[in-house]
Amino acid sequence: MRAYLLRRAGISLLTLIIASIVVFLGVRAVPGSPATALTGNTNFSPAALAAINRAYGLDNPLPVQYVDWVGQVVTGHLGSSPVTGMPVTTELGNAFPITLELTVLSMVIALLLGIPTGILAAIRRGRSADYASNAAALFGLSIPSFWFGIMLILLLAVVLKWLPASGFVSFSVNPGQNLAHIIMPAFVLGTGVAAVLMRQTRSGMLETLRQDYVRTARAKGLSEWVVILKHSLRNSLVTVATVIGLQFGILLSGVAVTEEVFGLPGIGQLTINAVFQRDYPTIQAVALLTAVIVIVINLLMDFVYMVLSPKVRLAGEPG
Amino acid sequence: MSIATMPGTEPTVVLAQPSRQGWWRRFRRRPPAVIGLAGVVIVVLVAVFAPFLAHYSPIVSQFGHVLEGPFSPGHILGTDELGRDELSRLIYGSQATLEVGVLATLLAMAVAIPIGIAAGYYRGAMDMIAMRITDVVLAFPFLLIAVGLAAIFGPSLQNVILALGIAQLPGSVRIARAEAMALREQDFVQAAIVTGVKDRVILFRHLFPNMLSPLLVQASVSIPAAILGSALLSYLGLGVQPPTPSWGNMLASAQTYLYNDPWIAIFPGVAIFLTTLSFNLLGDGLRDLFDPSMR
Repeated sequence: MRAYLLRRAGISLLTLIIASIVVFLGVRAVPGSPATALTGNTNFSPAALAAINRAYGLDNPLPVQYVDWVGQVVTGHLGSSPVTGMPVTTELGNAFPITLELTVLSMVIALLLGIPTGILAAIRRGRSADYASNAAALFGLSIPSFWFGIMLILLLAVVLKWLPASGFVSFSVNPGQNLAHIIMPAFVLGTGVAAVLMRQTRSGMLETLRQDYVRTARAKGLSEWVVILKHSLRNSLVTVATVIGLQFGILLSGVAVTEEVFGLPGIGQLTINAVFQRDYPTIQAVALLTAVIVIVINLLMDFVYMVLSPKVRLAGEPG
Repeated sequence: MSIATMPGTEPTVVLAQPSRQGWWRRFRRRPPAVIGLAGVVIVVLVAVFAPFLAHYSPIVSQFGHVLEGPFSPGHILGTDELGRDELSRLIYGSQATLEVGVLATLLAMAVAIPIGIAAGYYRGAMDMIAMRITDVVLAFPFLLIAVGLAAIFGPSLQNVILALGIAQLPGSVRIARAEAMALREQDFVQAAIVTGVKDRVILFRHLFPNMLSPLLVQASVSIPAAILGSALLSYLGLGVQPPTPSWGNMLASAQTYLYNDPWIAIFPGVAIFLTTLSFNLLGDGLRDLFDPSMR
């Protein structure tokens, strides 16, 4: 078990190193000199260019530059945005809590919607509850999240005037207003993920309900709920955990467009603005931060997988 | 079957022939899958015959007819903020949408299948490298890949296709790899290995033809995902550039007029929804056919 954990952690670290090299080389592949990309300035005298190259260490060989850059990143120095002049860490610090709140709330909505409907569909297989959940999941998978968002704004903000159409109020300023601004985007994102979770839970449950140990549990006279929740669902969640990890990366793309639709000043909006303003230090920082988050979450999901799956726990290898 | 003396494609041929007719018969008995197929065929026909179906240019503005509502004379779905016929723009918009969906998936498959087969067949170092590539790609959400490409090369349709193709690599590599690993243990492949058939022949004549079904299912899931992805990128201004219509960039410009003229935001979304729904219905139908255990 410890060997498995160490191996997974080692692989994650290796992935992180390769990902950071991709990010590092990406900014250096931008048209024009890296000095231009990092400072946002295009008109340099040769002397000024040389000075900047020296200041940023750009006259060193690439491997040396990479090691220097990693050193800066680890100590929290991500450079300054050439557009706003603010340190990138400050910008990320302002935007991150909003994206975190949106992501966590939408994951909660996804789990509350997806897993119970998945269980219901599996135990009522072939009946109307199953068909209704499947139709709802198909709807959630096919609808473009940002259009769903625009339609909800049209209905709930423009026509019914129940919720604000866009903008953000911090939780510490006004919790009620904060929730009013974030509930619609969280619902939009949550339903998309719920569709995938529902399908995964359903097929996992159908698989485990067929197994001998479930028949044994029933034969022992255990109540149906104990059989479903303890014997079947627990084992189905092994695959669901992996899917949650994979969905997280997809969710982060959805977060960006949802923030744009609802005018939330989170990481997504920061990234989109950075692209159009050619703000490379910000893009670089966001890319690295996202890669770290996705890799860490997938590593955590590996641990959850191990805790849930007796096969992995005993053999030390994924089944 | 004398596999030892004829280690060719015999098992494939024997398996494929009789099942092909039953295939269509079983497919026909699934109304959702048939509806999905019909929807896909309609969208493809609309994209191919767009110049014959559209009554107006999707690009030329008519400033005398700005934001006319649905059912206005000559414009059954109304006009947009530049007086362009909404229906004609929807018809032409299907071209960019399908192009991205299909080409991104083909690109991903063309790169992923050889990598996946080699990883699953040879294992060892080859497998390690292939899996690390997929891990790294998975670490970057597709939006970030698209953002990176747009930052380096500028926004364009080609970069959208490339970004979505890259984002779909991991899924396809893993499926080809899993299939190759399973097929490698089968008797007909083991027999081919023992009798000294060249690796190249085993990979492309024994392994590849026998993993077409799961790959087809994967493609039917990839295409709608790529369509949604391209609509999202166009909405953000990273995809198809105006004035060329795509359903995503039509939605982006429509959001400004949401309060007074909501219909121009409704139609493109319905078009995306119905197209992805059709592909998803078709994909579910195909998966049920090839892999009954998933039902």
